[in-house]
Amino acid sequence: MGERRAERLLRSVEGVAYWAAVAPTVACLPAGLGYRIACWRGDWDFRHRHRKRAELIRNLEQMLGDDLTPDAAAQLARDWFRFRSCETIDVMRLRYQARPLRRLVEIRGREHLETALAGGKGAILCSAHFGSFDCCFSLLGASGFPVTTIGRWQHNYTAGLSSAERRFWDVVYSRRLRRHRHRPNIEPWPGRVAVAAQAAAILRANEVVTVAIDAPPLDSDRPRTVAVPFLGRRARFLPGAVALAQLTGAPLLMGFMYRAGDYRHQVLEISAPVPIGGTAATAFARCAAEVSGAIQRSPAHWIYWPSGADLADLGLTPEVDGSPAMGAAHRQADGRFLHDGWADNVAARAHSRHGLAARTQRL
Amino acid sequence: VENVVNDYISREIVQDPAQLPLSNETPLLEDGVLDSLSLLQLVVFLQERFKITVDEADLLPENFASVNTICAYLRAREPGRQEAAHG
Repeated sequence: MGERRAERLLRSVEGVAYWAAVAPTVACLPAGLGYRIACWRGDWDFRHRHRKRAELIRNLEQMLGDDLTPDAAAQLARDWFRFRSCETIDVMRLRYQARPLRRLVEIRGREHLETALAGGKGAILCSAHFGSFDCCFSLLGASGFPVTTIGRWQHNYTAGLSSAERRFWDVVYSRRLRRHRHRPNIEPWPGRVAVAAQAAAILRANEVVTVAIDAPPLDSDRPRTVAVPFLGRRARFLPGAVALAQLTGAPLLMGFMYRAGDYRHQVLEISAPVPIGGTAATAFARCAAEVSGAIQRSPAHWIYWPSGADLADLGLTPEVDGSPAMGAAHRQADGRFLHDGWADNVAARAHSRHGLAARTQRL
Repeated sequence: VENVVNDYISREIVQDPAQLPLSNETPLLEDGVLDSLSLLQLVVFLQERFKITVDEADLLPENFASVNTICAYLRAREPGRQEAAHG
């Protein structure tokens, strides 16, 4: 028990040191060297975070088992840790109008977004919790598109974080991303029912709304989910982005940022508008197919792999104890908070259950 | 007006048949009849049907709490009343 606590403490100290001191310094080095150091840190995590690595490999094998050898699974897991580490450097390279990062990212399909905006109804750019998706949204903002993101800053919703910790993550993480966004994030939360209307107002102003559409639903949102084919199975998602597009007439595009084999260069691929005809479920299935295709093309980019409870919440794997929320609560009790993607929903669920949600007052 | 609004919500928005019939006092937000997207859907309908513009600032719980409060809001937004209010 003491050893585990010491291990957790060591990891926390290492995480804080990496985000607060190492990454900002490394991000000032030549890109090749900076991202190589980030990969070393990813390798260190891969070696020392045994439980997370084991869960990641187990989930990869469970989901992609037929096509995956043990060596390939281990390599994917190593890449997963490297990518997470490199994403911190991406955040740090958003300084100076994001020029240091823009030099390393090729945007393909920019014309699709420009054409969509020329229609005058704004544009919805959907992505997933995939690679450096948050930086991708800010990068588009820095490239001249008026971007607003629908999404929660996870540190604001993680139960058990002190105000100092929330402040820390705000300074080292969200502030850097926020700087390039046209407006503050629209943060969905149970009871905050003006979210869609706010997004619609932004679209009416002919701006871009970005959203990651693959988040596991909160307990309170489950009745509104739709089941669609995903990674060869069926998963449950909230079809809000599609419903918003149908209500506002805004074109809906998909965008994914892939990291190259040298770890420092990335390609942001923006699709042509996805057809949104039919029911929300039918239209959302097309978006989910795009996400699924991106994950199958490069599995290590998907952030949810090490989180069995999130995969269960999505309906991709069996629920361990009959209640995904219980799994989430258990993980939250672990007290971990790292910007590696899945803490958001875990935190939000735990937070919600403890009745701390009643803070909206304007719809 | 109450009938039009109630009918639209009952027909287009209510997902759970157990919530029907909807009374004009049913708390739409508390009972989960209205969520973020269905509120937007309702606002689009109200704007088209009653030829009004719903400002973002008007998206307050007290305006959309029930069919009755929605209708009260609509009456307050009637063109004649607005002109009177602006003197």
